[in-house]
Amino acid sequence: MAAVFNLNHHSSVVHWHFFQMSVSNIVVIVLMIVVFVAAILAPFPSGRATGGSS
Amino acid sequence: MSVSEERSWTAAVRERAVGALPPEKLLADKQPSYVASWIYVFGVLSLSSLAVIILSGTILALKGPGWWHFTGIGHFFNSIHLWSVELFFFVMVIHLWGKYWMAAWRGGRKAVWITGTITFVVAIPCALTGYVSQQNFDAQWISTQAKDAMNAAGIGSFFNLLNFGQMYSYHVLLLPAAVVALVIGHVLLVRKHGVVPPFNVPVTTSPASHDGAGPGAQESAS
Repeated sequence: MAAVFNLNHHSSVVHWHFFQMSVSNIVVIVLMIVVFVAAILAPFPSGRATGGSS
Repeated sequence: MSVSEERSWTAAVRERAVGALPPEKLLADKQPSYVASWIYVFGVLSLSSLAVIILSGTILALKGPGWWHFTGIGHFFNSIHLWSVELFFFVMVIHLWGKYWMAAWRGGRKAVWITGTITFVVAIPCALTGYVSQQNFDAQWISTQAKDAMNAAGIGSFFNLLNFGQMYSYHVLLLPAAVVALVIGHVLLVRKHGVVPPFNVPVTTSPASHDGAGPGAQESAS
């Protein structure tokens, strides 16, 4: 089954001085930061006073 | 002393367990109002991802590598297993960031923080041994490269990444058992101490806990 993205090439890497990281890893880290900030700022649905969480 | 007068170890364990975690705390039906924030959701998302990992991994173990490599449904469950692990680490890291910036060890919660941190550390080799358990050329390539890294780090004499049987048993039994045991301990500690409040709420630990006067228990909000 074909991949959604064409994977038949060398991976893309960001290399700047000592810093070297694959683009896919950078994308994941940026996404985590975006979700983290959104989790702090986004309003939580109200109307339910109880509920578990860890 | 008659048998009835002796204090049995089962009674001692029961009393200690119920004292530390009475049923209303173990299965609480209310949370403080500050828990109504998305940042408090990532712990339970980590638990949900772990449940999918365990379930999909169990199915993969039942069916074997021929199934997960050469059948459509096997590919599907293989992908479910991979992407639930990706999601597990994604949400667990956000959970970690949230708790770090909240200083979640306040109010006598240092054991909660420590068990969470150790769980994260143990989960990493648990996931990485999956790469060398795939039974394909990818796994062979990764194991030969990782072997050099382990040897360079000075820990290559304790285990052998080229030993498939050893890595597979690490991946499907030893490390998952450790992660699940740590997660159970972590969640029980969260239930015991309660979730950490924001900085503008006075820090307390739950009144029924035995170590409520631990470090930070009386720390004022900052």
